[in-house]
Amino acid sequence: MIEIVGVSKIYGERIKALENINLKIEKGEFVSIVGPSGAGKSTLVKMLICEEKPTSGKILIAGRNIVQLRPQELPYFRRKVGVVFQDFKLLAQKTVYENVAFALEVCEAMPEEINDKVPRILDLVGMLKRKDNMPDELSGGEKQRVSIARALVHSPKILIADEPTGNLDPINAWEIIELLARINKRGTIVLLATHNKAIVDRLKRRVVLIKDGKIISDKYRGGYLI
Amino acid sequence: MNIISIKRITNLGLINFWRNRWLSLASTLIMTLTLLIITLFVVMTIVIGKTTDRIRSKIDVSVYFKDSATTQEISNLQQELASRSDVKEVRYISKEEALDIWDQQQKNQRIKELVTAEENPLPRSLTIKTVDPANLQKIVDYVSGPQFASIIHKVSYEDNKQIIDKLLAITSFIKKIGLIFSIVFIIISILVILNTIRLTIFTRKDEIEIMRLVGASDRFIKGPFIIEGMLYGILACILAMGILWLAIGFVSPLINQYLGTAVTENMINFFLGHFILIFFLQLLVGIVAVIKNSLFSIRKYLKI
Repeated sequence: MIEIVGVSKIYGERIKALENINLKIEKGEFVSIVGPSGAGKSTLVKMLICEEKPTSGKILIAGRNIVQLRPQELPYFRRKVGVVFQDFKLLAQKTVYENVAFALEVCEAMPEEINDKVPRILDLVGMLKRKDNMPDELSGGEKQRVSIARALVHSPKILIADEPTGNLDPINAWEIIELLARINKRGTIVLLATHNKAIVDRLKRRVVLIKDGKIISDKYRGGYLI
Repeated sequence: MNIISIKRITNLGLINFWRNRWLSLASTLIMTLTLLIITLFVVMTIVIGKTTDRIRSKIDVSVYFKDSATTQEISNLQQELASRSDVKEVRYISKEEALDIWDQQQKNQRIKELVTAEENPLPRSLTIKTVDPANLQKIVDYVSGPQFASIIHKVSYEDNKQIIDKLLAITSFIKKIGLIFSIVFIIISILVILNTIRLTIFTRKDEIEIMRLVGASDRFIKGPFIIEGMLYGILACILAMGILWLAIGFVSPLINQYLGTAVTENMINFFLGHFILIFFLQLLVGIVAVIKNSLFSIRKYLKI
């Protein structure tokens, strides 16, 4: 489903953020990408969502090299890949419901579709009862749930989470990870970039360790080892 | 793009305008100021141009004939002058017409009575206007030549030369200064509005980023900003016209006091005569400036 082939990213002339990364992720997998800060996790995530282009190499998603996507194709690509960030990136002036509905509105979805999908997704992440609240009335964990709901509203095949628990306490963090695991069970590939050792150790799923821009280890049912 | 999208984009633009009302207000006011400055200077340049042109068009030279000159000789000279390309108008003033003018100009009855139809010493004359008043000297040189010495008594130009030259210099100076000021102020205004819009968009860069991340097309991201920009433009235009209207009402009596009615009449007539034109030009400038600037500033946040 996702195939990263010989990807390198060099900033300027000398800073190598990623060096010859090769990774294959199959349908239904839950992969944690771990490593210390500055290892290159975020750079990899940015390339997977077409925020940045690699200096060399290919990134194949469903057989298509996304490096070659034209600018006008990007919005359509982004609708197929859900993304969750550490800082939630919710629109402060919209309610929980509006934030999730917005992702559908911008894609020219019909009102019936919005009315049908948004409550279901909010229910899935356990936020339906808070649908009329504004983001600043929510806890960090709740904000992240809304952000996950928004990422899921397009029914993506891939969900990428970049440090989704970075701003959360351990209990809330684990709840979010459990939510991601549940989403993964429904068949969505989940790619979790994190440096939270406790979470990775507890998940017991595939772990890819990146350090200094290179893949150091790739273990199924692995733990966080540096 | 379907109807639903257009409706959503319009709604989003209106909602954004209202939710960021202080920023919207500031942008609208700056836009208003810009439009006011541009309009004022453009109108002033035009009015100054028209006024100075009018003054220049009044500058002429009179050639007075000796009583011994025959009508044929005068008529020949008149035709000769009229056929020149740099001459705009040649008017013959007979003894009778000169007397009429004398009667109208002289207020003092006793002096007036010195000249009568029976005893009229006033000479016949030609009044010559040139296309460009700066060329009057050439005409003067020509008619002052020896070939006309027998028929011409006097050419009025020499007496007024200094005043005429000064007037010509002043009018062209005012025109130039007006134009320079207009250009400088217009450039400053455009820079200010450009900066304001960049600031408006900068404060919303997170919003733009989120829209991009959830898969909004560029069109959908730019649309609400265009709607907002149009609102700024329309409101600023209405405000600017209102202020201009009031200002003209207040300021024209003052100008009348100092500069006489000619300038203000020109200004008011121009403004009233071109009200709709000015309004639409302002609207065009306002909306186009805002939209172009918005699209330009937004591009930075729509990378890849």
